[in-house]
Amino acid sequence: MSEPMSAEEVLKRLQEALGEALLSHEVREYTMGVRRKRTYQELWIDIDPKAFKRAVEVIFELGYPHLHFIAGGDDGGDSLRMVYSFGLFWAVPWGELSVTVRFNLPKDNLVLPTITDLMPGAETNEREIREMLGVEFEGLKKKRHLFLPDDWPEGKYPWRKDEYGVEDMVKHTHKSVNEIRRGE
Amino acid sequence: MAKTQYYVPVGPIHPALKEPIRVEAKVEGERIVDVDVKRGFAHRGIEYMGMKRNAIQTLYLSERICGICSISHPYAFVIGSEKALGIEAPPRAQYIRTIIAELERIHSHLLWLGVVAHEMGFDSLLFWTWKGREKVLDILELLTGNRINYSVFMIGGVRRDIKESQAKAVRDMINYYRIFTEEMKDVFLADPVYKARTRGVAQLSKDMAKKLNVCGPVARAAGLRMDVRQDTPYDAYADIGVRAVVPQDIVGEARGDAYDITLVRIYEIEQSLDIIEFCLDNMPEGKLMAIPNYVALLAKIRRSEGEGIGMHEAPRGEVVHYFKYGNKRDGPLVWKVVAPSYNNINTWGSLLLGAEVADIPIVVAYIDPCMCCNDRLAVVRDENGRLIDPATLHRKAVEKTRKLRAELGVRE
Repeated sequence: MSEPMSAEEVLKRLQEALGEALLSHEVREYTMGVRRKRTYQELWIDIDPKAFKRAVEVIFELGYPHLHFIAGGDDGGDSLRMVYSFGLFWAVPWGELSVTVRFNLPKDNLVLPTITDLMPGAETNEREIREMLGVEFEGLKKKRHLFLPDDWPEGKYPWRKDEYGVEDMVKHTHKSVNEIRRGE
Repeated sequence: MAKTQYYVPVGPIHPALKEPIRVEAKVEGERIVDVDVKRGFAHRGIEYMGMKRNAIQTLYLSERICGICSISHPYAFVIGSEKALGIEAPPRAQYIRTIIAELERIHSHLLWLGVVAHEMGFDSLLFWTWKGREKVLDILELLTGNRINYSVFMIGGVRRDIKESQAKAVRDMINYYRIFTEEMKDVFLADPVYKARTRGVAQLSKDMAKKLNVCGPVARAAGLRMDVRQDTPYDAYADIGVRAVVPQDIVGEARGDAYDITLVRIYEIEQSLDIIEFCLDNMPEGKLMAIPNYVALLAKIRRSEGEGIGMHEAPRGEVVHYFKYGNKRDGPLVWKVVAPSYNNINTWGSLLLGAEVADIPIVVAYIDPCMCCNDRLAVVRDENGRLIDPATLHRKAVEKTRKLRAELGVRE
């Protein structure tokens, strides 16, 4: 395993490689422990979606990461908010640095490059995001549904909150009890 | 003669696969040339439900994701929520959480050891390990009132204390398992038949494990020193300094096969006993909840805005929960759950390529799959075939816990 680097050093490498495309960053510190308090860091960055592949490549150059998850959120606006979380420098006590990459993906161009060429194990995550949010991954080989049935209607994505969502397919299950009582 | 390719579907209803999952293998003769895994036969959209509830309701919903890892999901949930909301749990609560999580690891590993013996046809071993598992289940019931779905975790603390009389019962249990693990080492690891059946089966190389993003005992058996309790410690683990259990430290090399997974799990039971003992010896005094009032807690969540990632090393591997709070809601806006099997099932594709059709159940079982999406609906009938209503079921559960407490000599 590669030598652990601090969040600032990783951030510097990302800033050099991405330049203007790194929009903002945040280094968070968490103190853990009761009798022996120690701190570990997390790095959260916001980037331009065009620089996404380069950012992932930089992370893979620093050390082979562990992919924690790929998540996506839809608030009903014009873009999806994608979150990729990688764990770098694991295998060292207190050494893991979680690097979280966030970006807004415009809904009129929901295309992302796949990372399965770097990490074959990311396929499950990408296939889930593809069927739940409708993001197309360029270069993803297996595109069959993973969790949804094979006869699921085209253009319906369960996690979307716009017209591509499932609101018209389900009646009340997506509402909370309070919302139903208030007649919303 | 040219070989014809056939599809062999295994599951979701198949004697070799107890979980609702389908493995579609493309075969040429006996050799498997392509594999596709289909999941989601019991997908309940828990993440979607969680985004519509408040955080405390979602916490108990997360406990229902899986029956075996029923503390793992709430643990990742509370860690992630506390990070996102800026709440710190009191020291005593942190130690109690760790004790309960480690008790669960013992029961989950014993369950797997029984299952693996059953898969190989050693059914007497199955009964023996599951008999041993009863002890830890009794202790969990003693501490929490339930054998599964313990409902003790809360954002910023725990809901039940471990009293001195209960701690004594836990110490008795530790002594019991110290002897039991020694016996298990003899029966599983030193046994030539078990060795012959597991050495070289479902072998995963270190490089492959890394690329497939696997986690937990499967990764550690392949030689990767990966353990959330070691890499990013939390709660009492930060005081203990846990080290990942890898086969190269015990037998000199890691081959990543079914034997190594058994080895890692048995030694992890010993590690759990050490952790529980440390926690009992060093338990700090103090309160149990950072914010005891639920209304105040929900009000704080409504005012907060933030994101957090919670990770917990569950018995089967790491559980990751990602949260986004804000928008004046008292529940998460985005909630993403990654269970260990989500990643570990990746291994099936590569391990089965080039293998034979008969290997499918073996490869499937050694990874310890847990769909984590199983239907949790149960219909309980009494001896006359009538449905039992929830109130009666609850009364019976309380009566049983009281009986157990009386038997173990613990006053309420």
